[in-house]
Amino acid sequence: MVWKLVATAIAVVGALLAINRVPLKYTLRHLTVRWKTTLLTALAFTLVIGVLVVMLAFVNGMRRMTEGTGLRENVLVLSDGATDESFSNLNPGDMAEIESLPEVQRDPATGLPLASRETYLIVNQPLPNAPAKGPQRRFLQTRGIEQPLLAAKVHGVELLPGGSWFSEAGVQEMPDGGPPAIQAVLGEGVARELAADRTPEQRAAARTPHRLDVGETFRVGDRTWVVTGIMKSSGSTFGSEIWAKQSLIGPLFGKSGYTTLLLRAADADAAQKLKDFLTNDYAKVAVNARIEREHYAEMSETSQQFAWAIGFVTVVMAVGGVFGVMNTMFAAISQRIKDIGVLRLLGYARWQILVSFLLESLVIALIGGLLGCALGSLADGVTASSVVTGHSGGGKFVVMELEVDAWVWAVGIFLTLLMGGIGGLAPALSAMRLRPLEALR
Amino acid sequence: MASESNGAIVRVRGVHKFFRRGSERVDVLQDLTLDVPEGQYLALMGPSGSGKTTLLNLIAGLDRPSEGEVWVGDALISQMSEAQLARWRTRNIGFIFQFYHLMPVLSAYENVELPLLLLGLSRAERRRQVMTALELVGLADRIHHRPGQLSGGQQQRVGIARAIVTDPTLIVADEPTGDLDARSADEILKLLEELRQSLRKTILLVTHDPRAAERADRILHLHKGQLVERTQ
Amino acid sequence: MKILGLILKNIRRNPLRSILTALGTMVLVFVVTMVWSVLWLLDMLTAEKQENLKGIVTERWSIPSRMPFSYAAPISEGAARQPGDVRPDDAMTWQFYPAALNPKNLTRDSFIFAIACDPDRLGRIENGKFVTMMDGLESLSPKDQAALLEAVARLKQKRQGIILGYNHLANINRMIGDLRDADISKLIGKRITLFGIGAYKGLDLEFEIVGIFPAGRYDNLGAFHRDYFNNALDQYPQTHGGRKHPMADRNLNLVWIKVPNLAAYNRVSGQIDQAPTFHDPAVKCETASSGMAAFLEPLRDLIWGARYLLAPSCLITLSLVIANAISISVRERRPELAVMKVLGFRPGQILWMVLGESLLLGAGAGLASAALTYGVINYYFDGLRFPIGFLDRFYIPLNALWWGTAIGAVAALVGSFVPAWTARQVKPAEVFAKVA
Repeated sequence: MVWKLVATAIAVVGALLAINRVPLKYTLRHLTVRWKTTLLTALAFTLVIGVLVVMLAFVNGMRRMTEGTGLRENVLVLSDGATDESFSNLNPGDMAEIESLPEVQRDPATGLPLASRETYLIVNQPLPNAPAKGPQRRFLQTRGIEQPLLAAKVHGVELLPGGSWFSEAGVQEMPDGGPPAIQAVLGEGVARELAADRTPEQRAAARTPHRLDVGETFRVGDRTWVVTGIMKSSGSTFGSEIWAKQSLIGPLFGKSGYTTLLLRAADADAAQKLKDFLTNDYAKVAVNARIEREHYAEMSETSQQFAWAIGFVTVVMAVGGVFGVMNTMFAAISQRIKDIGVLRLLGYARWQILVSFLLESLVIALIGGLLGCALGSLADGVTASSVVTGHSGGGKFVVMELEVDAWVWAVGIFLTLLMGGIGGLAPALSAMRLRPLEALR
Repeated sequence: MASESNGAIVRVRGVHKFFRRGSERVDVLQDLTLDVPEGQYLALMGPSGSGKTTLLNLIAGLDRPSEGEVWVGDALISQMSEAQLARWRTRNIGFIFQFYHLMPVLSAYENVELPLLLLGLSRAERRRQVMTALELVGLADRIHHRPGQLSGGQQQRVGIARAIVTDPTLIVADEPTGDLDARSADEILKLLEELRQSLRKTILLVTHDPRAAERADRILHLHKGQLVERTQ
Repeated sequence: MKILGLILKNIRRNPLRSILTALGTMVLVFVVTMVWSVLWLLDMLTAEKQENLKGIVTERWSIPSRMPFSYAAPISEGAARQPGDVRPDDAMTWQFYPAALNPKNLTRDSFIFAIACDPDRLGRIENGKFVTMMDGLESLSPKDQAALLEAVARLKQKRQGIILGYNHLANINRMIGDLRDADISKLIGKRITLFGIGAYKGLDLEFEIVGIFPAGRYDNLGAFHRDYFNNALDQYPQTHGGRKHPMADRNLNLVWIKVPNLAAYNRVSGQIDQAPTFHDPAVKCETASSGMAAFLEPLRDLIWGARYLLAPSCLITLSLVIANAISISVRERRPELAVMKVLGFRPGQILWMVLGESLLLGAGAGLASAALTYGVINYYFDGLRFPIGFLDRFYIPLNALWWGTAIGAVAALVGSFVPAWTARQVKPAEVFAKVA
């Protein structure tokens, strides 16, 4: 929809340029002569559009994250009535039954079903070096995995070079001789988040300054954990998760049983069929089955809420900017009443005067808006934390990247042209209505 | 209702013009009749408020009479719509003003070119006509100067060039020397005469400077909305 | 004072420009006021209080927090075991019961979030004063307070009673469909069935509506007697083949405690931390504001953006709009300013005249905008609906009135300083300039 709007706006500007008879250099030179006013007016546009671009980049990042998580070929199984993993409870017997269904793909190497049994938990971690006046703890998403290599295959997740999955036991002896540390694989986002806890000495010694690296440790649940690998996961919510052995972290956090069963089907259609079967026809166990990709895409509701709030704020700011450009154009016209009179005298029609002044306003808008888009684009790639939630609670703390793409630029350009057009219209109409006789008096 | 063409390029018939000021009606022109032959240099004089500018505006197609007819050439301009008048003015009238009314941000060349942009000519064509006009007024060496870089007399010459560049039927000048010193005024008036002779233009001059008027073929005085002829 | 007269005249000289500038100011001040109101409230909620603190006790490690109900009594006592240990002044247990009005079709409208609690904690008279453990119910109008106390009394009488929030009743009303909005209070006495969802699937409870939370507070919360809830869980095996409900041992979600001051809080918190009773699951105690801060932590970048990008951008844009308007105004008036100098006005007076014009416009528009925002949002819309967790409404604080005035005034000063200085520097000789 945005593309249609921006194409229309650009087409309108193009049409105006085509039918414009008052020489464009007349318009442009006036903007240069009154450069201070032009600059002040354009900068207002720059700010409004710049802020809009950054906010849209944020929403874009959130959208990409929720829409890029999960595979269409996977079916996510939760217990009946649970809409979120946090509230789900599956038992091993039921899961075994489901895994043995023929529609579930098998691993060609082992012949075992490509099914991952998982326990998803949100845990509290007291911040190690928290200043007294700030938050004292953070929420971490953890996923207890029964078999890491299998889980990696089902999720289609790879590790960054230099890392490895946790062992069968899931723990590792520590050089200081204390209790064994829990091995964990981190998503890139949470690795970045936890890096903030490093002491200055650790920071200085770190190989990867902006995120935790293989071999570093952190504390959760009164245990030390050690990083064995980092998941390639930016662009998905798994980037904000910590994966470790299920048999360890379940008891540690008081969760017996599993929350999630993830099944791989042959392709997207097969997944759809499997999901329908489990939902409607499967009588042995009552479950809530969904396509993995769709399950995460539903979480874009929060980004929709943000989008509405952003839209509202932008529109209001834009209105403020429109008043500014109206002032400028009314003043410009009152300065040039004689010019307008002469043009009418020479035979330029009313509408040609209108087009000329409308273009003047649009040029200011375009200059300011393009600069705003460019400035706002500096936010591309910046990481930010946020929350994604579905309908009934169960918020996930995610770390994502702001993304400025063509869509964001299109919205920025459309809005700036709209502002310029609306702000310039009333003054241009008043210029059009001037009577040549009175103008020259 | 075509009026007889008797060689007059401008024919004013029974024209009344009044304005409303609040609830009062001010009659500026009453039952005016006037013929201007082609090629004549006519001066219109009268005190301020006598209506000479009003008459000028009617003949130049800037305003319409309350009653009566105005013909210029074969066109009954008093019946034309505003859009038609706009198109007509470009081709038929050249204006010269007391305060020049040039666009400050455009060069001399660009100012003179302005009316030509409405005629759909090619760039080469336009260049030809603009250069001709500027040469005729003697400013071919200052075509890129802006009005701010020209003297009053030079600015008025640009104004004259603009007025003749479309080869109009009629040239209308409203106090063209009002803002100039004596020497420049003289130069401008001489230029107008030369142009009239070489291009055979009809010129309508509004002024209250008798020296400007004495170069005209004919002088008319407007007194209380009526025209009075004063022979030379 | 003469200068004030000149200022007013100048504002009136180009009413269109003055109005456009004023409107632009009002609109931008509106945005900043709204953003600052939200930030201000969040700051207040996360600021540590020194007196009359509330603490919140929850499961230590995971979310959602689920503790056995056997923890309720010891936690409410602050885990006080030895003489000299501090006990909280008051405590309130919350057991969540997410439910639906319609088991087949779960939508936002049919969803009811209710808590099982001790009814007295909702509100009671103690030593002649109204006491409550619920935030936001401390300062009710006498009428609302009386209604609440009556509802609590009814709840204590009828174990199967429930107090609902305004939005629930609107939704029930829509479903039943035979009562008009004004008759919502006639729903009191009606019976409904709530069907447990999520972890409470299978636990369906019947209720009689005994009261409504005052409008604007807890519109989305229901509250009922914890005895009823615990009994229902105890009796579940009898109707379900001897199996306990999955949540039978994990249904206490949180406990609020009230302590008189920070020192008392630290004592109680220490007692709870060290108590051996709470080991599976372990619990943690934090102040309510700290809990709120942790809850808001994921939104910290958004909050940073709103505080340091959005609001300042609006302020700068506002300065630009005013700077533009004033510099145009000064440019148009150069000849007159020259005349004023010829007549004897001093540079400083001219400077103040221009600054004054801009200040009056800016501060005036700013105040008007803030006042309008305050009135319309607080009274007409009954708060800004922006759901963040438990909060669903934000009110504009009275402070906003001076924020708006200050923003308008400062933006005006910053924006008009350069044009005012230019005006001050106009030379009297310019009065002879031919070209303005």
